Amino acid sequence: MNPTPREPSDATTAARREARLEHDMELLVGYILLAGVLFSIVLLLTGLVWQYVRTGSLHLKYLIAGMNYFDFLVHDLRAMFQLSGWGPRAFIDLGIAALLFTPYIRVVSSMVFFAVEERNWKYTAFTAFVGAVLTYSLFLR
Amino acid sequence: MSITSPGILFGVSIVAGFIGAMSGMGGGIVLIPALTLFGVGIKHAIAISIVSVIATSSGAASAYVRDGVTNLKIGMFLEMFTILGAIVGATVTLASSDQPLFIAFGLVLLLSWGTLFLRKAQHADYLKPADPISRWLELRGGYYDHAENRQIDYEGRRGWLGGPCMFGAGFIAGLLGIGAGALKVLILDLAMGLPPKVSTTTSNLIIGVTALAGTSIYIAAGYVDPGLAAPVIIGVVAGAFIGTRLLKRLSNQAIRQFFLVVLLLLGVEMILRGIGVFGHGV
Repeated sequence: MNPTPREPSDATTAARREARLEHDMELLVGYILLAGVLFSIVLLLTGLVWQYVRTGSLHLKYLIAGMNYFDFLVHDLRAMFQLSGWGPRAFIDLGIAALLFTPYIRVVSSMVFFAVEERNWKYTAFTAFVGAVLTYSLFLR
Repeated sequence: MSITSPGILFGVSIVAGFIGAMSGMGGGIVLIPALTLFGVGIKHAIAISIVSVIATSSGAASAYVRDGVTNLKIGMFLEMFTILGAIVGATVTLASSDQPLFIAFGLVLLLSWGTLFLRKAQHADYLKPADPISRWLELRGGYYDHAENRQIDYEGRRGWLGGPCMFGAGFIAGLLGIGAGALKVLILDLAMGLPPKVSTTTSNLIIGVTALAGTSIYIAAGYVDPGLAAPVIIGVVAGAFIGTRLLKRLSNQAIRQFFLVVLLLLGVEMILRGIGVFGHGV
């Protein structure tokens, strides 16, 4: 005799929901990291190849002094556009910015996911703490 | 900073990424001694390396996370400790003179080298009941192991010990501009009792955020030159990509052991430079 089909228990439903949310989070985090690194590498490569084609050398030495990266980025891009428009250096600046933003966006999106989808306040607080420390350190001067 | 050309840095970075992947020790641990051998100051080498660590670890983590082996909650819990460690470590580097950094780097390289041999295949019971703090932290998980063709469920343990230990691993990462993956894996394995694949992949996830915290300190101090960092990032990523693919095809352990010997020599060389055996060429 076939066993009578049963309604899934609350525990099974909760476990399934947990597994589905975990999988969604894995896809979100995985694709953010993949997209960020690829985008950054494409920008950096474009900058380096352009520099090599233009000058026959990869030499492009400049320092960030006395400011955080985002102040530098805005300052440097504005100065470049006023002088000569897009150049290799703009791509390299943006490539580094994309790289720095990749783990940062991963942390912030995880925090939003924990808060909105999972409603897991413990992990929302943990990721918020990581996000706050990273925000502080990125904007240090 | 020396006059080392970006072209040479690019070549050195490919080799460093390649050896890092072939040996399983990560790119930074090869890159920094190599850069200093080519005349780059150790603090600049550390700063450039830690930026490249973000790229290599995030690239690898993206694949591991989508495979479902990485434990995101364990990673995100432990990141709270590693980022603080990295910020303190980078700050100590900025205040330090060069010699102690050479010695610390050599010692950490040798220690990481030793952990590769300490790590033996475990047949632990990963479902032993966890302590109340670890249960509250939700440090459990599971993944399907395609090699063993079965589901492996586990309970992470001793979160109260893993967190503070991870502060130490983050400190080393920020201090020396490396991923410190060997130390993180050791903590996840021994202190928290996780299966080896979960330790390796979760460590990789943590490394990127930890490196970002350290990087921001080096940028603020003016140690990151984007024009020099760019060829290094591309080189290390390319070298690691080639090394990882080649490693999958190699069944022969002799090549890996050859690279491990190279790393051992680099560690000894860094310590000797730190204590001044090679004169004032630090």
